[in-house]
Amino acid sequence: MKRAHRLRILGLAGGLLFLSLLPLALQRVNRGEYYLHVLTLVLLYAYLSTAWNILGGFAGQHSLGHGIFLGIGAYTSTLLFSRFGVTPWLGMWVGALLAGAVGAFIGFLCFRYGLRGPYFALATIALAEAMRYVVSNIPYLGGARGLEVVWKGHNLAIFQFSTKAWYYYVALFFTVICLAISAWLNRSRLGYWMVAVRENEDAAAALGVDLVRTKVIATVVSAVLTAIGGTFYAQYFTFVNPASVFGEGPSVQILLYSIIGGLGTVWGSAIGALVLVPIAEFTRARLGGTFAGVHLLIYGAILMVVMLFMPQGIVGVVQKVVRRRPRAKEDR
Amino acid sequence: MNTSLLAQAAVNGLFIGGVFALISIGLTLIWGVMRIINFAHGEFLMIGMYIAYFAVVRAGLDPYLTLLVTVPALFLVGALIFWGTIRPVLSAPSMNQILLTVGLSLVLQNLALVFFKADVLFAQTPYAKMNYRIGSVVLEMPKLIAFAGSVLAASLLYWLLQSTDLGRAIRAASQNSRAAQLMGINVRQTYLVAFGIGSACLGVAASLMIPFYYVSPTVGIFFGTIAFVIVVLGGMGNFLGALVAGVIIGLTESLGAAVLPGSLARVFTFAVFVLFLLFRPTGIFGRRQG
Amino acid sequence: MMTPLLRVERLTKHFGGLVAVDNLSFAVEQGEIVGLIGPNGAGKTTTFSLISGFLRPTAGEIFFEGIPLHGRKPHEICALGLTRTFQVVQPFPDITVLENVLVGAFARHAGTAAAERRAMAVLERVGLAHKAYYPARELTLLELKRLEVGKALATEPRLLLLDEVAAGLNPVEIQEMLKLVRELNAEGITFLLVEHVMQFIMQVCRRIIVLNFGQKIAEGTPEEISRDPKVLEAYLGEEAPDA
Repeated sequence: MKRAHRLRILGLAGGLLFLSLLPLALQRVNRGEYYLHVLTLVLLYAYLSTAWNILGGFAGQHSLGHGIFLGIGAYTSTLLFSRFGVTPWLGMWVGALLAGAVGAFIGFLCFRYGLRGPYFALATIALAEAMRYVVSNIPYLGGARGLEVVWKGHNLAIFQFSTKAWYYYVALFFTVICLAISAWLNRSRLGYWMVAVRENEDAAAALGVDLVRTKVIATVVSAVLTAIGGTFYAQYFTFVNPASVFGEGPSVQILLYSIIGGLGTVWGSAIGALVLVPIAEFTRARLGGTFAGVHLLIYGAILMVVMLFMPQGIVGVVQKVVRRRPRAKEDR
Repeated sequence: MNTSLLAQAAVNGLFIGGVFALISIGLTLIWGVMRIINFAHGEFLMIGMYIAYFAVVRAGLDPYLTLLVTVPALFLVGALIFWGTIRPVLSAPSMNQILLTVGLSLVLQNLALVFFKADVLFAQTPYAKMNYRIGSVVLEMPKLIAFAGSVLAASLLYWLLQSTDLGRAIRAASQNSRAAQLMGINVRQTYLVAFGIGSACLGVAASLMIPFYYVSPTVGIFFGTIAFVIVVLGGMGNFLGALVAGVIIGLTESLGAAVLPGSLARVFTFAVFVLFLLFRPTGIFGRRQG
Repeated sequence: MMTPLLRVERLTKHFGGLVAVDNLSFAVEQGEIVGLIGPNGAGKTTTFSLISGFLRPTAGEIFFEGIPLHGRKPHEICALGLTRTFQVVQPFPDITVLENVLVGAFARHAGTAAAERRAMAVLERVGLAHKAYYPARELTLLELKRLEVGKALATEPRLLLLDEVAAGLNPVEIQEMLKLVRELNAEGITFLLVEHVMQFIMQVCRRIIVLNFGQKIAEGTPEEISRDPKVLEAYLGEEAPDA
């Protein structure tokens, strides 16, 4: 057992090392900056969907409106930075706090009154859409055009960089932390409570699991993490507008990676992002600005295909193959 | 508050409410029969509107004659999409069904974006300028016709459900699909027809709206969302409820926009929606078939 | 006189016009194994659901070690030391057997390592240690029943409510389950059992309460109630109870 454990650590360390050295290698490659951009996006979406997975995969409450938290994070830090000169590093935490509060409120309201499955999904869609509409109509928040993150020069202190590599490393850092949190949850009491809620609410309650509290905590954790990702989003793309964060697209994208990769697993979301984001990006590059919504078209199609033929996702398919082997001690 | 302004808003709200109702009846029918929440419902309307638009602009058809095209076309579209993508997930967990129709909605929206760009299109018809005046209130002809047409279509559908064999089969299948099967009703086929009818309602609504509403790839988002609100308000699966709730929402949207500043009217609608989901998910009238 | 571990007083539950439980009163003393029997629809599982917090009483009170239970949520009641199992087994299908019991163990242990040790020990107890790493959905019915008991056991209850734990078991399996219950009782766990399988309940219960139409119609030792004409009458018109 020890040996398997040691191998895992070695593997993870090696992977991290590889990822850390990647930007340096890509500098020598033709169009290296572009590939770095794609990788940064992979990391960003791996981060966001891993965060979503805490509520949607572990706790089994499929939010279809997670853009709410993404947007709260993005808008808060951008607003504080553009209007008050507060560094996004600080604005990030303000956004996270706000998102956590909103998540707690929404979560408590929904779960206290027993909203489940499709009704919860409907509620989150409605709330995200309401957010989008309201923010579009508030001039102070930039209206439908949104807010710009004003370029003030390369400066770590204000989360602005002139080369992609810096953003890449920040994204890598965030993603590693998010995965670590996810992995910790996976083996912790709180995480098992979430899974119990997902698997069988009555059985969970009979074994001492506070259903509402667990679901709300999952919502808050997920919301906080997502909002932090929202700040990165804003800094990376240097602007934020209602449709790009509160719209149907972002919310669906985030959960899509988890579904493709395998709901409720630690790595599933990241794997899903790793597979899908490059596809979308390269397609977008090929067909360029001519077809604005091509990547969403592809995502929608993939979502449909997966629901029709492979609802368990990639990891689920792999697990089915793996299960043919005789039972040995395995990690979930 | 200016009473004539309010009266005007009320009239317009009533008219658009009729159209809302027609759009929602399709959705509530589908949910009532097979318990599927079709998140692409708004996109079907969008398809219908594009068909109606091109029929008017390219083929020079009178907008109301386009009904002859949009209704069968939407029925067909609905039936095909049902058979190809929805039938396979009828017995899957509801989240899978939701995600499927969400994916479908994305596909349809963005296909439209690819083909038609983000252009907002408006079909100029002679009806647009026809108005009647009653006192200080203006009755816009296209909206009045749309309201009348919606009421007519809804009544027709109601008659269909209550008095024909097909309608009875649909109601039977929605109440107890197993028992219906035992009675010799082909449930799958009934679902197909019901889905087609629900979509065809959107064809009617599309043709009725073309004289006074624009069409774009994202036009379905608003109507789809409103339809959900109405369906929940009226009681999911409740035909009459959808009618009443449709008119209510039409009125609140219109009056709200007249009375409240900016976007608050829409927020009010959403707030009501969420409140109903939380405290009275069975709607104003509760669950009742047909 | 010692306070009874569980005291149910004038417990009543209406579902609209239907009276499922009607003015039911009884007590369970520390260390007892008490049975709750009655024909189908007598209100046995409803009583369990009322005691364990899954249903709210229309009237009446429930006390556990003197603490009122009525109105509390199921997870609070579990924390107090009362755990129930379900008639239709309720596993967590997509996680392993060990993880199933682990959820129960987390009711008493905050740390994963300690909880896992406890869960493993429970699995040994109920004879499922060899299936620890199998997903729960792959278990047989008997194994699922043992898992059901195991999950509840992991919460370290003082009072265990077993709902038809012997249903569907063959005679050998019934004896094994009997043995387990007796051993656990000897270790200090009090039991309240709902059962249809007479063979099981007659052999293990010291005292039996008989319900019919939500009311208590008899109470006594197995010998006493098996001779009670009211009990026999209640079961007539039903197929004879499994002897």
